[in-house]
Amino acid sequence: MPLTPTLIGHISQGDARAVSRQNRLPVDATAPDTLLVATTTVTDAANRDLLESTSTELPTLDGCMQYRKLVWFYFRASDAATTYRVLARATDHNGAPLGAGWQEIVPATTLPGGANSWGRIEIPSAGDGYYDQYRIEVRRTAGSSYTLTSKIVGVR
Amino acid sequence: MTPKVCLVMRQFGLFNRAWTQILRNLGIDYTLCTATGVSAGVNIQTPQGVLSASNPDLRGYFRQFDAVILCDNTNDLAATSLINYSVFWLRWNDTEDPAFLFFNPHFSAAITDSAYNSNFPSDFPIVRPDPSDIAGTLYPADGGSATSVDPLIQTATRARGMCVLFLAENIRAHVQTICNTHTNRIPYYWRLDTAKHSALVSAAYTHRVARNGRAGEILAVPAPPTSSEDTETYPTDCVVAYRYRNCFWLPHAMARTPRAVNLWDADVSPFVFWLLYGLQLAGVRPRYRLPVQIETSRPLEALDASFNPPYSLREQCDFLLASWDWMREFARRKGTAIIGGVTTGGRDRNTSSRQHWAILYNTSFPAEAREAAMRVHQILVAGHREGTTPCGPHDYTIGGGDGLWGSAVSAGYIRHAGRQRGTPNDVPIARGMYCVAPHVLPADVADRGAQTVQVGDIEMVEWDFTGRTSGTGTTFDLPMDNIHAARMIIEGHIDEMLALGFPDGYCAGHRYTNTAANNSGGECYWQALKEFGFRGVRSSSNCTGINIKRVPPNRIWHGFHLVGDEAVDNCSSGAVFSRGLYLPSAPSGGDAVRHYLLDHGSDISANWATGQVAAWRAYRRLLCQTTGTWLHSAVVELSSAYFHPNQSLMCVSLADAVAPFEGWSRLGPYGTPHYNHAVELLENMDAVVRLLPEYLYWGTITDVMDHRERVMG
Repeated sequence: MPLTPTLIGHISQGDARAVSRQNRLPVDATAPDTLLVATTTVTDAANRDLLESTSTELPTLDGCMQYRKLVWFYFRASDAATTYRVLARATDHNGAPLGAGWQEIVPATTLPGGANSWGRIEIPSAGDGYYDQYRIEVRRTAGSSYTLTSKIVGVR
Repeated sequence: MTPKVCLVMRQFGLFNRAWTQILRNLGIDYTLCTATGVSAGVNIQTPQGVLSASNPDLRGYFRQFDAVILCDNTNDLAATSLINYSVFWLRWNDTEDPAFLFFNPHFSAAITDSAYNSNFPSDFPIVRPDPSDIAGTLYPADGGSATSVDPLIQTATRARGMCVLFLAENIRAHVQTICNTHTNRIPYYWRLDTAKHSALVSAAYTHRVARNGRAGEILAVPAPPTSSEDTETYPTDCVVAYRYRNCFWLPHAMARTPRAVNLWDADVSPFVFWLLYGLQLAGVRPRYRLPVQIETSRPLEALDASFNPPYSLREQCDFLLASWDWMREFARRKGTAIIGGVTTGGRDRNTSSRQHWAILYNTSFPAEAREAAMRVHQILVAGHREGTTPCGPHDYTIGGGDGLWGSAVSAGYIRHAGRQRGTPNDVPIARGMYCVAPHVLPADVADRGAQTVQVGDIEMVEWDFTGRTSGTGTTFDLPMDNIHAARMIIEGHIDEMLALGFPDGYCAGHRYTNTAANNSGGECYWQALKEFGFRGVRSSSNCTGINIKRVPPNRIWHGFHLVGDEAVDNCSSGAVFSRGLYLPSAPSGGDAVRHYLLDHGSDISANWATGQVAAWRAYRRLLCQTTGTWLHSAVVELSSAYFHPNQSLMCVSLADAVAPFEGWSRLGPYGTPHYNHAVELLENMDAVVRLLPEYLYWGTITDVMDHRERVMG
């Protein structure tokens, strides 16, 4: 009995279309993904990211090329003066950063909100991202340490 | 019927996400309800409306659940309110009512709420803790010493230990147990009002959770000592878990902190046993049982004299032989598979005795040591073939000692011989100078040496490897950041595993290994591992030695598993090996007590030389600590706990390496008590698994990965 190749495809505008790299299955590619939920103790330490790492080359999030934008929601327990900084970079197809260091897409900026308040920040604030890696740092510049609870979603 | 529970808490800001993570892993549906306050008069916000805590409609609402769980707890017995609203539920005892699970409940005599006090059942048999009369209402536990910080929020250190006797099951198990604590940070157990308890035991009671058909039941008590050396005893009216009708009074289960549960969060929840036990007692039948398994890193390793171990190379192999024989038999009996990450690279790159190959074949080591090592090796190979001790590669000889992508360049890399990427073949070791996706690559651009490479869903045509190949030689500096290097390294690993006599290089049918230093590399390594047949590897979240990568948040990359890591050794890696439970002269982290900060109020160190009970105290705390971490990895993270046999077993007695702990009656090196971490830890976890047959089973890493796919997506 002859072998029959299996074709994976879908119907589009009345035509059967085989799935290929350029013609993907028509899934809902717009649904956002939850990428991170974290509770960070915000301190005055420099170069400290949402995952409380001070290893400056370590990304907070990796594999983000598919997302044009990240949306960072947070709830801060204190109004202690705090800055945040967002770094981003691209990697090659092996996952290796194209070079050392980062592109600073948001310089140290005041984190909005008072005690027990909510916030929402789009990354990048304008245009599309499509970076592979992001590093999001927070630093308290006055007052006492407090907890910052974050959720980051990726939007395609 | 679908299992379903209701979680009641005061505020999400202090809600530990591990509560719901466990329930999701078990396939138990849940509903979250919040209390609008802490007094008896507050309302409960349910998805179906806001109801007062005493409202019959709330009782009717609760009846759809198998169990209602009270999540809040406090470390202050003087607090006048916390879960006062729950007092009415202690009287909702009909057969239609759910089980109520109280973990570390606040029912202190300091509560001034008249509605609480007037509604608190008069026949309740546990004495209400009184902060002004602690000695008369509670029993100090675990030596009665204070933890230096709040004991309720501790994670992977500062355990409070107890061997608990579960009466109905007649099983003893070491589990972290704190019934209540106070601002003095001393753990306490409860005092039973024996008269009330007797009355409850005499009263018939019908409810599906009343397995003895009585209104009261002592569930668990501190286990009596097994040795006269252990003088830490408790009165007969001391209890740690009790069922009052359909209400379960259970020890602390979860820190009241907003811990996240995701790729990076290493905050262990070491008290989760009590949640599982409570759910099982409440008759909540989970959709899924969770597999319990453990891994070892470096199953055959022996330290030479430069590390100053207490035993010779031969003696180390002897205790490994006895221990692996025991572990293989344990795995056979329990149906589990104890993964071993074999130190590869010893054949081609390193002759140190820490490498598996070298200790077998390096003739500079004594023949008797190599013979003993070969016996250990043969157990591992035989166990690999039968499924009890499957082994995979684990290579510290690359990446500056940090394994896969442990450094930007692996200097002086020595490759294997033969196969596609071994000598003398001249093959790429870095990506081509030019890489273009094939669907946008113009014709006649790529040169004749072009290669198509796929990493994840990115496909590229690479060309111009000038100066980026291995040449025909053996030794060169290997850039680690690309799939060509990854393939070369992994091909060499499998070649060495086969040469060692293993039938494959990836833990047989599990298609898995645990990586050296928990570095799984990055995308290019995961791709290469997939190509060689791997389904997953153990990985830390920062998966390279140079900290430039993170694993995906769900730890699954294109179907490839990046299983989390939880070490449960009895010493720190920096101390190289364990000097036992406690040894004053050990280096920092060189004994279990100091590694896990178990010396509460110096109640071990100050008594070590004169009080035999100190060793038993250390033993209890260590087992509670490591079992708690292991259980957390199994039920919260769906990750892997692991230990290093040579490192953790260096404190055994050679006379009988697998003998149980017997305090000062059996000594190991340094004149301190013998302690076999493998035997003790696995036996204790087995007691936990036997206690929780509806929630846990001895499984394998395949079961873990299967379940991750089921619930993590």
